Amino acid sequence: MKYAITLHVNGQLYTLEVEPTRLLVDILRYDLGLTGTKEACSVGVCGACTVLVDGQMVSSCLMPGVAAAGSSITTVEGLAGREELLPVQQAFVDYGGFQCGICTPGQVIAAKALLDENPHPTAEEIKEWMMGNLCRCTGYYKILESVQRAAEGGQA
Amino acid sequence: MTTSPAYTAIGKPIGQIEGPAKVSGKGAYTADVALPGVLWGKALRSPFPHARIVSVDTSRARALMGVHGVITGRDLPDVLYGRRMRDMPLLARDRVRFVGEKVAAVAAETPEIAAEALRLIEVEYQELPAVFDPQEAMGPGAPRLHDDVSAYPGHREPVSDLTNVFSVVRRTKGDLEQGFRESDLVFEHTFTTPAQHQGYLEPHAALVDIQQGRIHVWVSNKSPYAVREQLAQVLGVPEEQIVVHLPHVGGDFGGKGALMDAPLCYYLARASGRPVKMVMTYLEELMAGNPRNTGVITFKTGVKRDGRLWAWQARCVWNTGAYGAFLPIPTVNVAGGMQSAGSYRIPHVEIESLCIYTNCVPRGHMRSPGAPQVCFAVESHVDMMARALGMDPLAFRLMNVLEEGDTTPTGEALRDVHAKETLQAAAAASGWDTPKQRPHHGRGMALYDRHVGSGLSTVTLTMAEDGRATLTTVAPDTGTGSHTILQQIVAEELHLPLSQVGVTVGTTDAAPFDAGVGGSRTTHITGQAAYRASQELKGLLAAAAAQVLGVAADALRLEQGSFVATGSGAARSLPVAEAARLATRAAGGPLRVQITHDGGSTAGITSFCVQVADVQVDPETGQVTVERIVSAHDVGTIINPLGHQGQIEGGIIQSLGFATSEELVIEEGRVTTLHLGEYKLPVMKDIPELVTVLVQHPEGPVPYAGKAIGEVSNCPVAAAIANAVEDAVGVRITDLPITAEKVYRALRAKP
Repeated sequence: MKYAITLHVNGQLYTLEVEPTRLLVDILRYDLGLTGTKEACSVGVCGACTVLVDGQMVSSCLMPGVAAAGSSITTVEGLAGREELLPVQQAFVDYGGFQCGICTPGQVIAAKALLDENPHPTAEEIKEWMMGNLCRCTGYYKILESVQRAAEGGQA
Repeated sequence: MTTSPAYTAIGKPIGQIEGPAKVSGKGAYTADVALPGVLWGKALRSPFPHARIVSVDTSRARALMGVHGVITGRDLPDVLYGRRMRDMPLLARDRVRFVGEKVAAVAAETPEIAAEALRLIEVEYQELPAVFDPQEAMGPGAPRLHDDVSAYPGHREPVSDLTNVFSVVRRTKGDLEQGFRESDLVFEHTFTTPAQHQGYLEPHAALVDIQQGRIHVWVSNKSPYAVREQLAQVLGVPEEQIVVHLPHVGGDFGGKGALMDAPLCYYLARASGRPVKMVMTYLEELMAGNPRNTGVITFKTGVKRDGRLWAWQARCVWNTGAYGAFLPIPTVNVAGGMQSAGSYRIPHVEIESLCIYTNCVPRGHMRSPGAPQVCFAVESHVDMMARALGMDPLAFRLMNVLEEGDTTPTGEALRDVHAKETLQAAAAASGWDTPKQRPHHGRGMALYDRHVGSGLSTVTLTMAEDGRATLTTVAPDTGTGSHTILQQIVAEELHLPLSQVGVTVGTTDAAPFDAGVGGSRTTHITGQAAYRASQELKGLLAAAAAQVLGVAADALRLEQGSFVATGSGAARSLPVAEAARLATRAAGGPLRVQITHDGGSTAGITSFCVQVADVQVDPETGQVTVERIVSAHDVGTIINPLGHQGQIEGGIIQSLGFATSEELVIEEGRVTTLHLGEYKLPVMKDIPELVTVLVQHPEGPVPYAGKAIGEVSNCPVAAAIANAVEDAVGVRITDLPITAEKVYRALRAKP
């Protein structure tokens, strides 16, 4: 049986009929066409599918859509709002914070959430916060630097 | 450092041209490509490592609502697949040879319906005796996996007499027996390395759409023309019927060179009349991807009392799993095996590299295939010999490492050899001679060198009336920043701002051929093609400018964005943009040049990498903490320092995983580390302090005199750490990964 739910995604209201087992990642990617959110591990350990649900970081591969009913969701497509790129996104471009880019939507969402909560994190705090976002290309040094540079700029 | 010419775009840390799209989720990877009416494909996989298929009943799956296609091995033509040797069926027909081998596939409206359909397929198996260990598999009594290897297309003679051995490569130099007779001491050591998964965060995906007789393919793959060729081969259609599109590739590391599910998507699309997409789950990736070969590497080495290496025998036994289909090189072997005597001057050498079938997951390519395994073994072995001789490991290496004029252990003459300089740079940066301050702190070193690859590459360069240049490549950027390098080269040569140079990808219809990404060749060959295309376009612009300025084209120089007439009289000039306007008007449209560049031979060109690891070992638990890595590289001109450093860093952390945490555990043929919580990739908290040292000489075949960087930094890491562990606590770990458990047990076993 299907449930009717509403989701506010990137400021837009969607009303959907979904199976109770339908995962948020699949709703975003395949029902709404927001393929910026990626799926890799499917078990909540790699961070590629990270989105903000009412401002909190969530692995959308673990969350049934019905559990997000009524929530406000921000995906990478909506992160900058009407801006071209947020400073944190620009920092990832300028300082080499990604290579293939598949983990990057999750990385920038996590970095934005960190800087919103802690605008001037130490390197250790960044490592602690970002350790749930795997990256196989960069070796993390340039992700760390990107987050640090974004923090130095004072605006996430 | 050598002073370089005043470049405007070359040598600058430019962010990736795809950056804005990738950080805002706009880049489309294969799984993101949406087509109307697309169906979801899924494959049923064998639960047994070795079994005969008695029967397959798909009737219930076919009857399920929402299922539009079901195929088994019997429904497909009797063809075999392989990147070089064709030994693997698209779907098993009579026999399965590993856990995870595909037996049937379905296409359905949703992934959930497809999964349900798989549950309704009934397969009766009859288990067969299986073999998992490569050395057992070579024995006379072992179950034979393939009846007649020599019958496989693409197989290279001679076939070995040993059971299940499908490729043997031998190299000799000097006279090994004489070498041992002349040696004062002989050392014998064996090392083992586990299967490592590439760990890209984009699992393999494929999408096939048949439109008006043409087969459109999107696939997570680094070589579109290889996809076209291999697909044409297995489908029995002309290559021109296939169009391979170039979506973004979410990490490759050598693992994305095969067709994976693309042929099944085709057959399901044909059966259903709709496009079909298959996306592997990460569980399927870990169970049945194409991970790094497991290696058993044995040495017998003779040395002179003064430390000179004199005779070296190496044998690499590669557990290649159930099929050789994922191995692309002509020998159907593991290229790293040929480096199993390291980068040393040794008069008498014999190297043997054997690939062996077992009932395990088939192995493929991963970043410098075979080299991290042999480098771990060689550089551990070298350290152990140095210690046994009472020599400093640095001094031992300096004594034996290749110099200008030496030949490698496989007899190749190298040029521009900077091994000693790189060793010394690493030693200086790491404080090699400074005493260690704390107990259980150790320092270890390792050395590696790698060629620059070559091949054919095609680019198309156009210039529009407004002076904007667009380069079209048919080699994907798998994350290395290779497209940004092409942008920089065109900007440099045509004196354009980066914002006036675009890079786009074409389909395989856009060009005759391109070798694609891999083998440390991309910057070299795509870069040279872009360089030559820029020169040719510059010639067209110069011709237009010459006409206006009333001089011969060869009297023009491009200076600061303008063509300048040289010679007597007042200087006259014409900006590039103006030349573009005139030339496109005269041509009646955009200027267009296409270049296919052949990189030619790169024999003898190499670059060295020396790494020093500092570790702290907890003697109570065996826990090894890697505190610092010094990575010294012999490099040429660096086109993009941001991307270059990114390759160094990424490679080191991949191999930190190889050295300390990553092991695709295979028990009785079953991969048991089936998710990324079990298979432990390094995380941000794991990264040690990193010091990079560049020993720079502008030389090499890459435009502006450069070399390759993608496949070196990941090779010495594991040996440097193993050597540091022995330095710290006196135990030698010869089996990767170096876990706390192994170090703890070794400490307890210590007399």
